[in-house]
Amino acid sequence: MAEKVVQVEQLRLSYQRVQAVRDVTFSLGEGEILAVIGQNGSGKTSTVECIEGLRKPDSGLIRVFGKDPWRQRGEVYKKMGVQLQETEYPLKIRVEEQCRLFAGFYERPADWELLLSQLGLADKRKRQVRKLSGGEKQRLSVLLALMGRPKLLILDELTTGLDPEARQGMWRSLESIQKGGAAIILVSHYLDEVERLADKILYLEKGEQCFFGTKQGFREYAKSRIPREEWEEGQSLEQIYLQLAPETKGLTTEGIL
Amino acid sequence: MKRFAIVFKTEFILFLRDFFGVFFALAFPVLMLLLFGGIYGNEPVSPEAATGVMDVSVPAYAVMVMGVTGLMSFPLTLAGYKERKIYKRFDASPVGKKTVIAAQAVVNVVMTLFGIANLLIAGKLLYHIRIQGTLLPVCTALLLSAAAMFSMGFFFTAVGRDEKSTNLLCYLFYFIMLFLSGATIPDMLFPAAMKTIAGFLPMTYAVDFMQGVFAGDSLIEHGKEIAVLGTLTVVLVAAGALLYRKKDWA
Repeated sequence: MAEKVVQVEQLRLSYQRVQAVRDVTFSLGEGEILAVIGQNGSGKTSTVECIEGLRKPDSGLIRVFGKDPWRQRGEVYKKMGVQLQETEYPLKIRVEEQCRLFAGFYERPADWELLLSQLGLADKRKRQVRKLSGGEKQRLSVLLALMGRPKLLILDELTTGLDPEARQGMWRSLESIQKGGAAIILVSHYLDEVERLADKILYLEKGEQCFFGTKQGFREYAKSRIPREEWEEGQSLEQIYLQLAPETKGLTTEGIL
Repeated sequence: MKRFAIVFKTEFILFLRDFFGVFFALAFPVLMLLLFGGIYGNEPVSPEAATGVMDVSVPAYAVMVMGVTGLMSFPLTLAGYKERKIYKRFDASPVGKKTVIAAQAVVNVVMTLFGIANLLIAGKLLYHIRIQGTLLPVCTALLLSAAAMFSMGFFFTAVGRDEKSTNLLCYLFYFIMLFLSGATIPDMLFPAAMKTIAGFLPMTYAVDFMQGVFAGDSLIEHGKEIAVLGTLTVVLVAAGALLYRKKDWA
């Protein structure tokens, strides 16, 4: 049997007294895309940061390419690329310097000059990173994640801040990367993105794993939780998700007007 | 090593783009030299003394350079990178933050050496300063004094909760030490109370040590300075490292 790219069992993580992640278990194979979904504060980023070796879990097992990412971070990052939810760069560093710096970390780096032009940043190469727009910074962070020709790509809120054309372009890129055999973990709030790209879904609520499986499996799971009179066949994932997610109070005009 | 070299190169370029860092490490000490040299020249410090005012000022200004890099530039870079989670991005790559911090420390050490070399060349050319000390004591004093300044900076970044509080600690200690350690104003001019305060400041020991060995003293004559600066370095690095382990970098 082929080795799993990512294997997570009974993952638990807490911040002081707050239990952020409880008993999360899932696995991911080569060429699969996993979408991690859930509301803000549901433990999505905490879960992927454990896989990225950035946080030490309280308990549970995590293996990335068969290695412990907390203890063998250097080994794991030879094959793993990461785009963090928020990334800042050194003041006054230029785009091309940031690229050259990261290219120097890998034995066989990607052709970053080509990536710069594919991501529409070629004319910004001499510009200081801090002077880029939000969307441009986001594209740069994706470029850096791809620098090591990763076999596992973790993208935390990939398309936040991107315009619709850039989002579509990014989706096509991910599909090509997937065809090349890489596994992808995608943390996202955009269910249209999940619908198009994901093979599997991990759904978290308040740090707890509610569902892990295929998209079809997720529909069946949702159907079992949503009252029958509210369920409609053929709904989009977004509509299902909105019915499923714990109710959040919207902002009213009371107190404003 | 290749990765360290590329991080070092990038950090060095970034240091050179920081006007204040470069100005205070390279230009400011020379301006001090020109200012006080213009007033006093390199006349003997007292009628019977063999050393001139600039002979004793240059090693003191060298400590000032160490203070700029060790207590201002290095810790403020460290605190800024941590607060903006730039180290976290490096941790999410084959190069972890330890390599970056080490490269930043080396960049600042190199800039310290440039700053001191600059000062010595200016002192030699303009005021014909005399360095009577031999290589071993001078290098020991340089290394130990720099280590003490850098360890203080490192410790402040470990204690400071954020960039702002680290800045406050570093600026506060740097300027208190700058004026009370004898680095800029000769401590022989201080009243007794100020001398007492100066006795608690690490930079005072660094200035005394540097001035002594530059004037030809042996290391044995500076046992007290070696003990104070050495102990301080070990204690602050150990305490800083312990505090760092408890910090949340993610």
